[in-house]
Amino acid sequence: MWLWFSKLGSPKWFYELSEKWLPWLIGAMVIFLTIGVVWALVYLPPDYQQGYTSRILVVHVAVAGTSLAFFPLMAVAGTITLVWKMKLADMVAKNAAPLGAWFSFITLATGSIWGSASWGTWWEWSDSRLVSMLFQFFLLLGVISLRSALDNSETAAKACALLSIVGCINVVVIKYSVEWWNTLHQPSSPINLDSGSANGPEFWVATAIMIIAVYLFFTVSLILSTRNEILQREKRSQWVSDIVKKQHAQAGS
Amino acid sequence: MIEAIQFASFSEFLNMGGYAFNVWAVYGLFVIFIAANLLAPRIRRKSIMKEQYRRIVLSEESDTRKSD
Repeated sequence: MWLWFSKLGSPKWFYELSEKWLPWLIGAMVIFLTIGVVWALVYLPPDYQQGYTSRILVVHVAVAGTSLAFFPLMAVAGTITLVWKMKLADMVAKNAAPLGAWFSFITLATGSIWGSASWGTWWEWSDSRLVSMLFQFFLLLGVISLRSALDNSETAAKACALLSIVGCINVVVIKYSVEWWNTLHQPSSPINLDSGSANGPEFWVATAIMIIAVYLFFTVSLILSTRNEILQREKRSQWVSDIVKKQHAQAGS
Repeated sequence: MIEAIQFASFSEFLNMGGYAFNVWAVYGLFVIFIAANLLAPRIRRKSIMKEQYRRIVLSEESDTRKSD
């Protein structure tokens, strides 16, 4: 168990394992993204109330759902950093923050574009779902700037870990906001087996495919940036030098 | 498969039942979002490789000078 755990925390081990996984993850991501987008744009029938704006929701729901994973992920990684001082966990947490900010921003933007067509408004300050998601975006910007503001990387890792754990409270608020305060944003629709309804199989199967696609994209992007982080932080080690030399020889320059 | 396609013509497809701006803006953003977050780490990787190769070459040069 402990051997496995210390191996898991080894940047070299992660770098080599992710090398093997990446082609499969990228392949699956491309397939799911293609099926998801084509299905949503070409095959998804118009909703009887929303028309073709329901196609926006396929993207919005997938990105929004995934955006809620960032704080829990950063909190788990942060706890591992605080308790076991595992280097790899902090590298993942550091690179998750900017990606999470992107996810939150795209959630807000796509939601706003949908709202302007369906609700007749781009933004509503009194809506709890909208405001709590905006708060998540700012919290992530806060985590990013906290890390860059602190010179000592160990202190920065600890501070970000704590903020990430606290930030999880907001994820719960986002999740239940539509039930606790019934304002503008509608609660999520339960899965409906009747074809032709707004939340019928055509819609949720397309959304399910898009959710898988977006999770794969999230995983691939995070692995790519974490690998960069490893190359930088471990640059003094022999194995990284070997990779750099090999890469240079392959590039043929 | 073909019967399930919701459009009769390409212009009808572009029009998205009158919501062309909203639908295409969202899908455009989605594509930019994905491309940016896959390409940025790739570009970063290349610059890291270049920078570290230079550092390795410099340190090896200084090592041989010392041994001379």
